[in-house]
Amino acid sequence: MIERNSSRVLRVAAIGAGRISEEHLRFLSASPQAVLAAVCDLSSAMAEFAADRFNAESHYTDYKRMLTEVKPDVVHIMTPPHTHTTLIRDCLHADAHVIVEKPIAPSNAEFRELWELARSRGRALLEDHNARFSEPVLAIEKMIAQGRLGDVREVEVRLALPLAGPGSRYNDPNLPHPSHGLPAGALHEFMPHLCYLALRFLPPVDRVGAAWTKHGKSNLFKYDDLDCIVVAGDAHGRIRMTCYQAPDGFSIAVRGTKAWVETDLYHPCLRVVGPRPGGAQLMPLVNHLANGLAYVRASAVGFRNKIIQKNLYEGIHTFLHQTYTALREGTPLPVSFDDMDRSTRLLDDMLRKENQV
Amino acid sequence: MKLLVTGASGFLGKYVVAEALSRGHSVRAMVRPGVDVGELPWDGHERLDYARVDLRSRRGLADAIAGVDAVLHVAAKTSGDVYAQMEGTVVATENLLVAMQDAGINRLILVSSFSVYEYLHRWSFATVNERSPLESRPLDRDAYTFSKLAQEQLARRFSDEHNWKLTVLRPGVIFGPGKTVNARLGMQTKDFWFTFTGWARVPLTYVEHCALAIVLAAETDAAAGESINVVDDNPPTQWGYISRVSKYLYPRPVPVPVPWMMLRALARTAVWTNRLVFKDKARLPSILVPCRQHARFKPLRYPNTRLRDVLGWTPRYTLEQALALCYGERPDAPDSGHSA
Repeated sequence: MIERNSSRVLRVAAIGAGRISEEHLRFLSASPQAVLAAVCDLSSAMAEFAADRFNAESHYTDYKRMLTEVKPDVVHIMTPPHTHTTLIRDCLHADAHVIVEKPIAPSNAEFRELWELARSRGRALLEDHNARFSEPVLAIEKMIAQGRLGDVREVEVRLALPLAGPGSRYNDPNLPHPSHGLPAGALHEFMPHLCYLALRFLPPVDRVGAAWTKHGKSNLFKYDDLDCIVVAGDAHGRIRMTCYQAPDGFSIAVRGTKAWVETDLYHPCLRVVGPRPGGAQLMPLVNHLANGLAYVRASAVGFRNKIIQKNLYEGIHTFLHQTYTALREGTPLPVSFDDMDRSTRLLDDMLRKENQV
Repeated sequence: MKLLVTGASGFLGKYVVAEALSRGHSVRAMVRPGVDVGELPWDGHERLDYARVDLRSRRGLADAIAGVDAVLHVAAKTSGDVYAQMEGTVVATENLLVAMQDAGINRLILVSSFSVYEYLHRWSFATVNERSPLESRPLDRDAYTFSKLAQEQLARRFSDEHNWKLTVLRPGVIFGPGKTVNARLGMQTKDFWFTFTGWARVPLTYVEHCALAIVLAAETDAAAGESINVVDDNPPTQWGYISRVSKYLYPRPVPVPVPWMMLRALARTAVWTNRLVFKDKARLPSILVPCRQHARFKPLRYPNTRLRDVLGWTPRYTLEQALALCYGERPDAPDSGHSA
């Protein structure tokens, strides 16, 4: 059980000071709920850089020493995926709550072991599900809660990233990215996003069929394309990831019995098609007009966001704010056991032998 | 001497290896595992061997560095965000320094950059030399300046702790074949060349001259503990360089002078607009960021006294001859410079 102490500022340590840590540390350096006590990285230069930039009290290259000396209440783990399991275990044994970048573990079984350890020690364990807290996704959730889409019958989540293209750090033969060692290779690192987003709108999963393929010639990649169908009660889901489509895209479409909505987290704008004032005859026209206005608004907001450098990781700040509020007040955490269990289980199902084309 | 050259397959590294070989040294060329060494101009030289490692990782570094007398650290990341440049320049240097420490190697020639200097608060026509102040807010400038300053600090820390002989060389703008135009010359489009301080001198160094300075630094005991700027004699003005290089360009861009005061006023307006409207959150175009603008265009003086006095460096080519070489022409007789 997590104790409640809403007035206490939590002492936080970060392990990993690379690019992915930037938004976590930016949040921590500005949050009144937490104080950034230490940053740890294998590179002393990177640890010092992050500590200076984000006003951490100290920096380390040995995380075990940091855990002993700093005794943090919370640890953020932002290291390459293959290190997560060991680090989570050591942080939980040091009585710290753990927030970890995706993927939390290579399999559902390993996630459950870690969860059991966290539960036995009364600590929180959360995977960063930041995309779920981005404004367009929250807006879709709100529409569903209001009943505007009716019953959800189809969900499609699609990610296009040129991971196998020239200049990609995943396609660097000089220093192969550690994610290539995951069960689904480099794609695995992105799968939690796709799984938790799809599952957010789907009932319990009955069947999964997935085609993992490799279209490119790079020896580094195990797969570079995924096409997955999920059957969940009377709803269908499709999860797509490709390295060979341009431009980059991260689209979500949810279709219900009354209306459908789609968005793209890289080009945010909600397009809603459904009943509008004016009746069935005028529905296409009114939908066009309404969505046209939405695009104009999204253009203005996008221009402003570009200028003020608000990026697609803004969901991290909402996720962390809710997490720290919950940790201090003893209220439910924004990412639950069920969220992570379903997500890791779906990925396990997708990776079963019969799904490897 | 047995010299290890990092970044050996890069723009400058290729010339450093060639210069070291021509001066009778043995060279271990450090290249990334994916580099096709058959394409390198000195591949197969009898006094050359390779170390195929990526400095972003410590794997293989102990073997790569064993048995060398000095390290000529040329490798650096020159593009990408601050994380990419930290990894490619600073973490890479840290890995190299740790390997040097483990192997007991105590001679390091670090190739830094003119970008580490402070420009915004200098007077126009001030002198930039080795004692000039360094940039105090490098993250406001750019990732390159930040990473090069961090790299210098790291090397000095190791050098002080282990009593190494460190020489820091700070080249100005290196030009050579395939790289004759740079950001200090204004803004170039297909048809026009906008200049803001055409009368300002450009701290150029021809790539062979820079490579010569690096190898001389390794050979010169008196260079230990020194920081030395590397700039060719009599750097040309922007207009002088543009007129010389334009004859090799087709179509020849038309020079368009834009008043420096106007550019500065635009930058000030942009900065205040950002402050008042966007609470300093907006990312301004590089040319409208005052510290970057001044670093690129401010008229300053660039002597090379230390380069000549400490290293005994003299250039081999005039600017015209160097440009002719850049464009594959046979230059007139080169100046007598150093030989092996």
